[in-house]
Amino acid sequence: MTTSLTSISAHGALKGFLLSAILLLTACSATTINISGTFPAPLVQKLPLTVGVFYDDAFTNHSFIEINDNTGDDQYIINSGSSQIELFNTMLPAVFEEVVQLDSIDSANALNGLDAVFIPGIEEFQVGLPQKTRLNVYEIWVKYNMRLARTNGDYIADWVMTAYGKSPEETFQSVDAGVNDAANVALRDLAASFTLGFGNVPEIKEWLRSENFQEE
Amino acid sequence: MNILRFKFTYNSIPRLAFVLPAIFFLCSCTTTEIDEFRQSPTAISFDESIVILGRRQNNNYETEEDFVTCVADVVSRGQNSISVVDEQLFLDAMFPFFEPRTAPMRTGHLEQLMAVDVAADKLEEFGIEYIVWLDGITERSDQSGSISCTIGPGGGGCFGFGTWTDDSNFEAEIWDLDTMSSVGSISTDANGQSYMPAVVIPIPLIARVEANACSGLGNQLKQFINGSGT
Repeated sequence: MTTSLTSISAHGALKGFLLSAILLLTACSATTINISGTFPAPLVQKLPLTVGVFYDDAFTNHSFIEINDNTGDDQYIINSGSSQIELFNTMLPAVFEEVVQLDSIDSANALNGLDAVFIPGIEEFQVGLPQKTRLNVYEIWVKYNMRLARTNGDYIADWVMTAYGKSPEETFQSVDAGVNDAANVALRDLAASFTLGFGNVPEIKEWLRSENFQEE
Repeated sequence: MNILRFKFTYNSIPRLAFVLPAIFFLCSCTTTEIDEFRQSPTAISFDESIVILGRRQNNNYETEEDFVTCVADVVSRGQNSISVVDEQLFLDAMFPFFEPRTAPMRTGHLEQLMAVDVAADKLEEFGIEYIVWLDGITERSDQSGSISCTIGPGGGGCFGFGTWTDDSNFEAEIWDLDTMSSVGSISTDANGQSYMPAVVIPIPLIARVEANACSGLGNQLKQFINGSGT
């Protein structure tokens, strides 16, 4: 008995076979992708501020579910919370003179010497997969809501930041690796925008001026 | 101001002894064209370095990290080699000033960057004399043909023929950190057709388009920076 498998273009033969095999093996369950990476400390002059930072549960355990367009089932579960925390824990101490991690926003009042409390949040998370977009890149887009508050809870600034990262699709590269690479580029993009743009947010600029906080 | 033009043609002949004679006629072939544009004289001493960075701000493509590494390898090896700082090491050390969204696009932006003390100090620490920006992509087109593969209890095999064209276009722009100006650029255009006949097993006859673009651009860049490119 002889079975004809398929007739495909020469270049995509092996790739198509592997993709089919992977799709068959993963058709029934969602794939979990845990974003991981290391981030360099930004090379900027520190602001002379002692800032408390509070990560809420939604931020710490941030997870995004990509739905399979054909079946409506969960296709990929992308967990980025731990990488987000790692990024902010690397970035904030490079931007501010001192950073204190808070268990709750209310605990800021009990701490002496805090100039402000910073609360990052994720509003939207989008992923672009080559198999859906027909582009040869993996893409990640994240919309953040950043808040800076006084220790009594009054907001100093509430602003939106976006981060974008893309990673070219490579032969035999897994979806996990492609999404992870794109997410790391997006997180670096956020850190770059934040460190260079923090002092230019109008409300923060005004607050820094009014409180006589100047760059060292 | 000089404009130089070089043209190389490489023919690679398959070495497999069992390949049919007709395949020799169809051997893969790459044509590489390199243009150099010099605005100012250049020179570098043994204790100075350069860094080669890929442009990644374009929406449609980004310069491949592998191509940047390949060009850096060519420049840092052989006769008249130049010390090249690793791209990722440089990007991490200079973070956040050379990220896709924040990297200087023109030499005027470089002047603004050098006004930031921490950035200027770090660049001096590296001993970097020139920054080389690589921008480009390899595109595949004219894909045609098909290969059928069959498998059964007694064995299997493939039969058919496929072909495609690769086209690599890259440009290197060289910035002098002393004068904070562009001292010239080198562009390369390489293209070639690959073939894959299949008689029982597929026999790839791959045109080494990107590899030829890399070696051509790397060697020309080495000459350019050493000051012997005129």
